[in-house]
Amino acid sequence: MKKFFVMVLLCAVPAFSLFGCADNTTTEGSAFDNGREISVVSREDGSGTRSAFIELFGMEEKNSDGSRKDKMTREAVIAKQTDVMMTNIAGEKYAIGYLSLGSLNDTVQAVQIDDVDASAANIKNGTYAVARPFYIATKGEPTGPAKDFISFILSAEGQKVISDSYIAMDDHAPAYAGNPLSGKITVAGSSSVTPVMEKLKEAYEKINPDTTIEIQQSDSTAGMTAVMEGTCDIGMASRELKDNELTELMPEKIALDGIVVIVNKANPISTLTTDQVKHIFTGEAAKWSDVGEERDLNE
Amino acid sequence: MKKGISMNKWKEKGMSAVFFAAALASILAVGLICFFLLANGIPAIRKIGLLNFLGGTEWSPTDTPPEFGILPMILGSLYVTAGAILTGVPIGLLTAVFLACVCPKKLYQVMKPGVELLAGIPSVVYGFFGMAAIVPLTGNSILSACILLGIMILPTIVEVAESALRAVPALYYEGALALGAGHYRSVFRVVLPAAKSGVLASVVLGIGRAIGETMAVIMVAGNQARMPVSLMKGVRTLTANIVVEMGYASGLHREALIATGVVLFVFILIINLTFSVLKGREGK
Repeated sequence: MKKFFVMVLLCAVPAFSLFGCADNTTTEGSAFDNGREISVVSREDGSGTRSAFIELFGMEEKNSDGSRKDKMTREAVIAKQTDVMMTNIAGEKYAIGYLSLGSLNDTVQAVQIDDVDASAANIKNGTYAVARPFYIATKGEPTGPAKDFISFILSAEGQKVISDSYIAMDDHAPAYAGNPLSGKITVAGSSSVTPVMEKLKEAYEKINPDTTIEIQQSDSTAGMTAVMEGTCDIGMASRELKDNELTELMPEKIALDGIVVIVNKANPISTLTTDQVKHIFTGEAAKWSDVGEERDLNE
Repeated sequence: MKKGISMNKWKEKGMSAVFFAAALASILAVGLICFFLLANGIPAIRKIGLLNFLGGTEWSPTDTPPEFGILPMILGSLYVTAGAILTGVPIGLLTAVFLACVCPKKLYQVMKPGVELLAGIPSVVYGFFGMAAIVPLTGNSILSACILLGIMILPTIVEVAESALRAVPALYYEGALALGAGHYRSVFRVVLPAAKSGVLASVVLGIGRAIGETMAVIMVAGNQARMPVSLMKGVRTLTANIVVEMGYASGLHREALIATGVVLFVFILIINLTFSVLKGREGK
């Protein structure tokens, strides 16, 4: 019995390695094979990029009873970080994924959505639709220390901080004049805006050490509610403001975040429609040949 | 004279108190970790329901209503660990036999530090190696994770098994030779069976290393939170579940991840108990 077990152990190892090698020979070196399964790569549940992607492509099932279901395919490989996402796509010929435009580099290929290039210019002029705005909002005209912080965000210095990872709204913003008041500013809202707000806070506190900024991370709706109720000075939202919010709040768009669909460089595909992207990421299109019904992939 | 003795006595008492305090620190750390895990994890398990939590096959923490079933991750951890044992143990054991019974001294001086170096490589480096060298061949799959973990547990197995083999009295080997057995027959039929419990202990330690490994596995396993389907498809382990989602989790989602840690902790406890039992048997 024991001997048998040992034999099984010893046989299993070479069998495993052969299996691996056999698979290898068929994928490497050959042309792009449309019949192959799509390897979908996604970010983890709770990631801001994932929730934006799902929302922008309508992959969220909302029911009247208030329940929400994320329809991203369960087969999707989960990459925890942006660089892991890119390494995955760069290393796997049949993979597709997505990331924030600011993180894109040339190890992967960006796909056009509905024939529009994902570029900062196209996002700004509104032709590339897979983008979301980052807003800050105040209740009425901002006053005190909050006013100065907002003027910093909209100044050349603040916009430079933003453009490190997102698309800044104003390329010709005036330099920060500086009229700091000592005091405390509370900022609350969207977890997607929080990272860039943290950076803005760091830069601002370096110039104005007398001001302390407290950032409370929740979500866009909670942030807007907090400003309306007066429990914070500035609210953050990663979506357009709703009508009931606009009646009370003064919004200011501070940045745009574009989301790019990326594929391996060996992939002949260069453009996808919104529906095709949706089919791929919900798992309805399992193979690359299921995607290109409207277009010849190899053209 | 008398005063000197009592001074010495006090000094000794004082120092032994210092050593005792040092020993307490690590016990205290274990106690605190236990307390933290249980205090944070148990309420979540209660809210979700033990059966729904351990037996649920659906993990969708951000849906409304959310689902927190970690059966896919439990199975994932078990499969990946089993695979690592299948790939790592045969190679590790044979390496240990080679180092302890066959290896010439000069070669040993190169081989031994080589194996030790393997143990010192950070797991994220293993992860990048896996992404660059294994994933292109076998994809983000259970198989990739098994191969990578198989390599990662090698040093643990080699070290422990080698010292177990060396602890076997030379008399056993010489006796076997005297009875007419050849070198390899003596090694495999006499020395190796004599070191049995030490060798088993090395395997158990290897299991502990494999089940607790996080970073490297995340980078090659795909991390899909659904029931494992095939050797060539991805999987998510318990450790991966915690690390992948902890960054953004809040509320019950976060508590459920800590509860995942409780399950992992129970696994590790079982493994360590097994190890102590085996170790105890070796002592006899």
